[in-house]
Amino acid sequence: MSETKALEAMIGEEYKYGFSTDVEYEDFPKGINEDVVRLISQKKNEPEWMTEFRLKAYRAWIEMEEPSWFNATYQKPKFDTLQYYSAPKNKPKLDSLDDVDPKIRETYEKLGIPLEEQKMLSGVAVDAVFDSVSIFTSFKEKLAEAGVIFCSISEAVQNYPELVKKHMGSVVPIRDNFYAALNSAVFSDGSFCYVPKDTICPMELSTYFRINNMNSGQFERTLIIAEDNSQVSYLEGCTAPMYDEHQLHAAVVELVAMENAEIKYSTIQNWYSGDEDGKGGIYNFVTKRGICKGDNSKISWTQLETGSAVTLKYPSVILKGDNSVGEFFSVAVTNKMQQADTGTKMIHLGKNTKSTIISKGISAGRSNNSYRGQVKISKKAENARNYSQCDSMLIGQTCGAHTFPYIESANPTGKIEHEATTSRVGEEQIFYLQQRGLSEDDAISLIVNGFCKEVLKELPMEFAVEANKLLGIKLEGSVG
Amino acid sequence: MLEIKDLHVVVEEDGTEILKGVNLKVNKGEIHAIMGPNGSGKSTLAKIAAGHPEYEVTKGDILYNGESILEMDPDERAHAGIFLAFQYPVEVPGVTNTTLLRESYNTIANSRGREELDPLEFDDYIKDKLELVQMNPDFLERSVNAGFSGGEKKRNEIFQMAVLQPKLSLLDETDSGLDIDALKIVANGINQLHGEDDAVVLITHYQRLLNYIEPDFVHVMIGGKIVKSGDKTLAYKLEEQGYDWLEAHAKVNGEAV
Amino acid sequence: MALPTQVEPSFLHRLAKHAPDSGNWTAIREQSLKELNASPFPHKKIEEWRFIDLKPFSKIEFTSLDDAGTLPATDIEKFFLPESDRSRLVFINGRYNEKFSSIGGLGNGVTVGNLNSFTDNSVVEKYLNKLVDYENDVFVPYNGLMFEDGAFIHLEKEAKAEAPIQILNIYTDSKKAFVATPRMLVVAEEDSDVTIIEDHIGLSGNEYLTIPVCEVKTKQRAHIHHVRIQRDSLNALHVSRPIAYVEKNSEYHSYTINLGAKLARNEPKVIQEDEEVDFTLDGLVLIDGEQIADTHSTFDHRFSHADSHQLHKVVVNGKAHSIFNGKIFVRRDAQKIDSFQENRNLLLSRDGLVNTKPQLEIFADDVLCSHGATIGQLDPEEVFYLQSRGMTEEKAKEVLTYAFALETIENMKVESVHKLLIEEVYRYTKANSVAKITA
Repeated sequence: MSETKALEAMIGEEYKYGFSTDVEYEDFPKGINEDVVRLISQKKNEPEWMTEFRLKAYRAWIEMEEPSWFNATYQKPKFDTLQYYSAPKNKPKLDSLDDVDPKIRETYEKLGIPLEEQKMLSGVAVDAVFDSVSIFTSFKEKLAEAGVIFCSISEAVQNYPELVKKHMGSVVPIRDNFYAALNSAVFSDGSFCYVPKDTICPMELSTYFRINNMNSGQFERTLIIAEDNSQVSYLEGCTAPMYDEHQLHAAVVELVAMENAEIKYSTIQNWYSGDEDGKGGIYNFVTKRGICKGDNSKISWTQLETGSAVTLKYPSVILKGDNSVGEFFSVAVTNKMQQADTGTKMIHLGKNTKSTIISKGISAGRSNNSYRGQVKISKKAENARNYSQCDSMLIGQTCGAHTFPYIESANPTGKIEHEATTSRVGEEQIFYLQQRGLSEDDAISLIVNGFCKEVLKELPMEFAVEANKLLGIKLEGSVG
Repeated sequence: MLEIKDLHVVVEEDGTEILKGVNLKVNKGEIHAIMGPNGSGKSTLAKIAAGHPEYEVTKGDILYNGESILEMDPDERAHAGIFLAFQYPVEVPGVTNTTLLRESYNTIANSRGREELDPLEFDDYIKDKLELVQMNPDFLERSVNAGFSGGEKKRNEIFQMAVLQPKLSLLDETDSGLDIDALKIVANGINQLHGEDDAVVLITHYQRLLNYIEPDFVHVMIGGKIVKSGDKTLAYKLEEQGYDWLEAHAKVNGEAV
Repeated sequence: MALPTQVEPSFLHRLAKHAPDSGNWTAIREQSLKELNASPFPHKKIEEWRFIDLKPFSKIEFTSLDDAGTLPATDIEKFFLPESDRSRLVFINGRYNEKFSSIGGLGNGVTVGNLNSFTDNSVVEKYLNKLVDYENDVFVPYNGLMFEDGAFIHLEKEAKAEAPIQILNIYTDSKKAFVATPRMLVVAEEDSDVTIIEDHIGLSGNEYLTIPVCEVKTKQRAHIHHVRIQRDSLNALHVSRPIAYVEKNSEYHSYTINLGAKLARNEPKVIQEDEEVDFTLDGLVLIDGEQIADTHSTFDHRFSHADSHQLHKVVVNGKAHSIFNGKIFVRRDAQKIDSFQENRNLLLSRDGLVNTKPQLEIFADDVLCSHGATIGQLDPEEVFYLQSRGMTEEKAKEVLTYAFALETIENMKVESVHKLLIEEVYRYTKANSVAKITA
């Protein structure tokens, strides 16, 4: 409950803890048309080909219909009144953590977020020692030494145009879907990562990201390329509750893994999920896809989805290279009036390709949680293998859990195994743990963590602990 | 330490009365055995003392160290030192024994103002306790009771008791489902854990556990009441004659036994 | 429900003008016509039809049954079940045939006959067309508009049918493709018990479309064992919509065996009407060549305490295509549901295709629902094991395929049906001479 209040306070109308709504927007027209798209490109000083890319996407988008096939209902965004470009915001600075809403701090503390980081997350000016710029610099140096390019996508467009040109839109084509087309037309910023041949990225691309890339805007664009024999692990998001004034988030993430390359992409998403009655909250409509282009390559998605009012997201892998491996590990928690329709697609094209899907959905409150997945073994995918396990847990009697797995095989040498179960947190389990001294909330948290264990262990170490706590906080008071 | 006064208890869901006026007094350092046929209310007595939400007290009181605990949550009772060894230990998939015990130990330690143990210290601490019930250390990394045999589950309960060091232990049919070797191990564990400052209540259907643990008092429960109390010789008599004579006795004497 | 006001007319809409006007079911026809005119012919953009290849429909020029020039049925005695010697209804192209039918051996309290002879029956009045679900497409309303005859089975309280009832649907050769609309109504009152064998047989290889609609009501403590065997012409289209309502403490067990038809779409649905019910929807699909078999089943748990099971087994060879969508709904307040669904697919050929979508929609927390789906070939370990016991690889594969398919028909209560299905499975396994399989 405290989290809700913290968030409500955070986005509350009065902003009594010093947050200010009058973020400085440049004078930019609302709504969208070709001129607006051109203007965005111009503001970002983009080369002609990038402008063309955006315009092509825009033209595709206006022809497309907003999808409605998923298991969620919500007020459609009003595209003609959105503001599609905003200049980097000047975040108000507070003098010390004492100025931050104590409830927000309480949440940070529960999550165990380090003090200095708490400051950054809550907009307190940080001292020189732990300055984000200095971190940025030291990371940059280390990465540069290894030859890894890691920068914002805007910088990449300027500095590495050939790489961006070659790969952007190659995994998620402009016309892929309604929101991907919109993103391609108006994307704000995001990350670009290029790991050259025979290189193992020397660090998790996470800590840096967590601090610096908080404000990529509502149309985030990420592109990660791992060349032959390279490896990279990337984490986006953070456990701390994130507030964003944009209701619609339509990101696109593209991953390209060449021969023997390995990309691990982890997400922790805890955006504002709206109040008890489903008012407010973020729409999180993301297109994430990776391609295992080279033989023996591997792409692994891990996600912990706890926030947003509506989440529609299916991180997918196209297994093109022979012997390539795709993985999807997911925990999706919905509470209150949240709706999540999430899952993955594993498209087997190459020989001996292998995919694993482990999905854990937890529904509480009056929420609805859907797993939607597709596993496809195409005609030429000799000896392809898939194993899927989709478990749902319901807490209370007013929520729903849904499973929509689409499974297809066109090759007799392929093998697909899919299992799904539904269970609940039992009263007897809670009593047992309480008898051993745990409070009811801790008992639930422990049971839920046990349920999600196989997925949580895939998260980078430093986030696993926070993730554990986050689950507990999300479900506080949901039984009883 | 524990005083139960005229306790009446019903099943919350349908109002069926299970306990119909139970009186019991357990002092520090004592071992009590509560025996009785199936359905007599023995297990309910243990569960209600631990605060099981399925039951409701309609009359009477449970005092622990002189104070009523009826309003306390199950975890608060655990903090106060009440331990229930479950007749049917619950499975918690994905949660390892170590995790559960460390969480439990530290919350209880915390509430009693003791130092919490960090994972390394805790590891050392529980290794000793393992030996008490002769359990293999890889047992610690298995999920709580999940896939355990009946005997393993029961031994796990006593192991948890050893780790948590309760003041009052309610052992609900801990002997059922154990072969003779396991029974000896469990009994030995209980004997070693028991001391002058704590009390043990054994709930059992059979007398055989009492061959290994010597109770100070034996109570017989029939139809939701304690109909007879005595010393350990009462247990021998029950073993020889069964419960019939007491049931008949109870009938003759009506509700007043 | 908002119905589309305008729909693209299909051949079924056009054939509607042949609806019998002197029929006995005026109200049903009126309602059905309204539904038909408001409902579109399925197309791929509808989620429920997205995997189905609708080409077989568009290629055939259908005419009404009367214009089709159907040939008489001959030599059909071989399809009579010996157990149903005096409990058999025969329908030729959906029309009742008194000569081949034989009733009277069912004991007290069991009424069996042609629906058309029971127009004044209060049970018929109460239930006929009342249990159907229109599904917003053309098939159920088309049946409702066109049917004249149909099977009527009624069991009074505590009545036990002394013999299994065979509903034999024969489709004869014809000059042109026709549309048949077999109809069934089964009402089992309290404590009654009945076994029904519904058989669809195409005598020739001609093209036709059959749209059987079956309504079943299982009242308290009643038991129904319902076997449905589909042996249509390999050029036939078969769209069936059986629906069963189950009351307290009743049991409904349905087994569908899909062998024939070029395109078979089967949509069984079981709806729980009260607590404590037990139901089964098993299926076996054996297809080859260019056959398409599509099963869309629904379990609708609306009350607490239900046991429901589904085992759907599929063997695909040649260029055949199997589709399965098994929906399990558990509505709010439907607690203590134990539901298990298993879909196992054996894909034997290079050109075959399997789509499966086991779907759970759960709105209650105290339930135990699980499903499993597998697609694959025979287990190489098992093949090796049999080879090590002296079988050739071909033989080993044949035996294993046979065993795979056989599991679903173990529950057949009627001896001759059991035997018949074993033969069908054997024939399929043999014909598909699994030797063709590339290992």
